[in-house]
Amino acid sequence: MKIREYFGKMSGTTRGSPPRVNNEEVVLSWIGAFLGIAAVAWVDHFFFEGTDLSLMIGSFGASAVLVYGAVRSPLAQPRNLVGGHMLSAVVGVVCWKLLHQYPWLAESVAVATAIALMHLTRTLHPPGGATALIAVTGSAAIHKLGFLYVLMPATIGPLILLAVALLFNNLPASRRYPEIWF
Amino acid sequence: MKETTATTDKPAQSSNEVPEMELTDGDILDAMQHIPGYLDISTEDFRTIYHLAHHHAVGRLFGNLRAENLMRTNVLPLHPDMYLDEAAKALVRSGYKALPVVDADGAVIGILTENDFLRRLQVGTFLELLLHMLDDSFEFQHRCHETPVHKAMTAPAITVRQEAGIGEIIHAFHLHEGRSLPVVDGGGKLLGLLLRKDFLKAYDMEALR
Repeated sequence: MKIREYFGKMSGTTRGSPPRVNNEEVVLSWIGAFLGIAAVAWVDHFFFEGTDLSLMIGSFGASAVLVYGAVRSPLAQPRNLVGGHMLSAVVGVVCWKLLHQYPWLAESVAVATAIALMHLTRTLHPPGGATALIAVTGSAAIHKLGFLYVLMPATIGPLILLAVALLFNNLPASRRYPEIWF
Repeated sequence: MKETTATTDKPAQSSNEVPEMELTDGDILDAMQHIPGYLDISTEDFRTIYHLAHHHAVGRLFGNLRAENLMRTNVLPLHPDMYLDEAAKALVRSGYKALPVVDADGAVIGILTENDFLRRLQVGTFLELLLHMLDDSFEFQHRCHETPVHKAMTAPAITVRQEAGIGEIIHAFHLHEGRSLPVVDGGGKLLGLLLRKDFLKAYDMEALR
């Protein structure tokens, strides 16, 4: 019985496929993400070209999905966007410094701890997991940043995404952002 | 629990239930269509939230709408061996349209209503009785002196437990035509009388607006 119940859970609760948003939402998501990522890239290009610093990390792509593609989601709110990246970056850097001789352990502990910390601080933001992982698996340049990684890119980047989200997501009649600040 | 009473027997936790609609996936998906943007929630989760929120709201609105808070106390009950003429006087003194009948232990065994009198006198309404009395008042006197309460009363009485909430009370009122419900404790002993008008007064629909 218990075994059947366990496998029964795997069949899901809901029939049919998930709903699709309308075309307007698709276009708005595209434009928002385009502007947000472009803004981060421009700032990176104009201010940090030729320096050891880089403002663009992969996890911002994931943040763009939330902040421009699922505006209402609790996971996309400012507190989560900025706090999630910031805290996860701290966790990632600490894990790299303490555990870098065991890469597999540094990676898994970084992501798992980032999730736990985001939960505890009510800043759960899925891309934060990537920010923590990148701190460990990143290039030598990223490792060299040390705790500077927390500020740059992990705080400045989300702040730019947030600024674009505030400006863009409130233009269309069908959108408003944020739902909750802090 | 005495077998002579038909208490609506439901667990106390369901005593606050207010009919809740079962939402289908179609209902929820249709609602989601009306909200622009991507909603980060599954239909099943929404249903769960809706259900729990409903439960919480009912508790907030009707939590203190319990039989023991609404009942009239100091009700002098009738006894099964009283004759109907005494019972009629007691009813008039009480000002109620019906009085519970209790045994020696105070357990509710029935309820005597104005309709029981009419049935006993083989008429349908008080107006009909009035016409009969103008013809044949003797027979009316006679029947009332001869008949003890337990022969005329409605038994078993529909009662509610003191902790009954809105759902149970409504259910009990649905089970019979009467205007009042005896409120009993766990042992079926009479505690008070819940009048329909008191209940309706407390069931303030304004709170729902």
